[in-house]
Amino acid sequence: MRFVDEFRDPELGRVLATEILAAVEPGRQYKFMEVCGGHTHSIYKYGVDDLLPANVELVHGPGCPVCVIPMGRVDDGIAVAREPNVIFTCFGDMMRIPGSAGSLLDAKAEGADIRMVYSPLDALRIAKQNPDRDVVFFAIGFETTAPSTALTLKRAKAEGVPNFFCMCSHVTIVPPLRALLESPDLRLDGFIGPGHVSTVVGARPFEFIPRDYGKPIVVAGFEPLDILHAIRMILAQLNDGRCEVENQYTRVVPYEGNPRALEVMAEVFELRPHFEWRGLGFISQSGLKLSEAYADFDAERRYSVPGIRVADPKACQCGEVLKGVIKPWECKVFGTACTPERPIGTCMVSSEGACAAYYNFGRFARERELV
Amino acid sequence: MSSPAECHSDHCITCGDDGVPMQVLKVDDERALALCVDGDGAKSSVEIELVLPVVAGDELLVHAGTALVRLA
Repeated sequence: MRFVDEFRDPELGRVLATEILAAVEPGRQYKFMEVCGGHTHSIYKYGVDDLLPANVELVHGPGCPVCVIPMGRVDDGIAVAREPNVIFTCFGDMMRIPGSAGSLLDAKAEGADIRMVYSPLDALRIAKQNPDRDVVFFAIGFETTAPSTALTLKRAKAEGVPNFFCMCSHVTIVPPLRALLESPDLRLDGFIGPGHVSTVVGARPFEFIPRDYGKPIVVAGFEPLDILHAIRMILAQLNDGRCEVENQYTRVVPYEGNPRALEVMAEVFELRPHFEWRGLGFISQSGLKLSEAYADFDAERRYSVPGIRVADPKACQCGEVLKGVIKPWECKVFGTACTPERPIGTCMVSSEGACAAYYNFGRFARERELV
Repeated sequence: MSSPAECHSDHCITCGDDGVPMQVLKVDDERALALCVDGDGAKSSVEIELVLPVVAGDELLVHAGTALVRLA
């Protein structure tokens, strides 16, 4: 398929790997963070890290929306889903995230009407088909999914669908990056920037990273050659003494993003003063809620949600994985008590979670490292 | 409908940053929707308001049912 196959060419991959090897300084350790879970997934799926020199380490960032949802928020979702007359809709992976007393999937097994959807538009369709029920969409995701929710809410308003509600848990990418950069226990040499978030927000919002923190960032696509190319571009910046935002993913990402999407988001959402992130704690102005103009569609106004902060299970080290402090396999419960089938932590739930990606594709690499 | 456990890696919609390239088959301009097909032949209805104007044959990057950018 166009835009895919040509970016998986093994020959070109070997060329890039050779160029990367030539660009690294022997004896220097490099640590690059891939911000986005999509990159984490591709790195393990295609074995990108196996093509890198031993002194180049990839650290996994907080860009998996499922992984950053705290347990308390799952409990809030379950509380709304258990309300009589509610059809609760959400993306598939959200159903498996453990709350303090089970997941949405458990609540469904206990009788709550919880349905998996592929898009918010599907949830709106269910609302139109069930005019005598309240249909709540559990909206999660970064700026890639937020426009989708925003357009669906605009459509619901325009079409006058009174029984459609949104439980908004959308988050934005810049505040957690800033929080990570302020974290004292993290030493990074550069960032592989999130590709599809940037189709919406553009590359400009990342300019603070080189300006304020002196780190290069290269916005990258998700195919293996994209990631290798981005690493080579970061190394070139370091070797040239440059530090800037570069866009490797020019075939998809305009530097200014999608202004129409930003406009729609600004109409439908407003920033929450604070939002809790799993493992990162409360980050100010990092989450979205519905604006006053869309208050009638706000599930949190229609239903009372507990809103209680729930501490992560003691054994779970998702927070450290999300901050890139430890590797997934260094977590005490990785692959034993915590597996994709029975996850304890969020990072083991989504296919983009660092733990699930490593569990599914990276276990052999770990065995090789241990030999 | 597949169960959550069967969520295929390349098309997982809950991912923070994963889009699916799709080709436009038919456009409903009035409703800003288009019937699109992905590389596996799966068809779905896609919001196109953010990438208008769209014509049949265009390639779009689609995320959670919404086209975010035109690929060609």
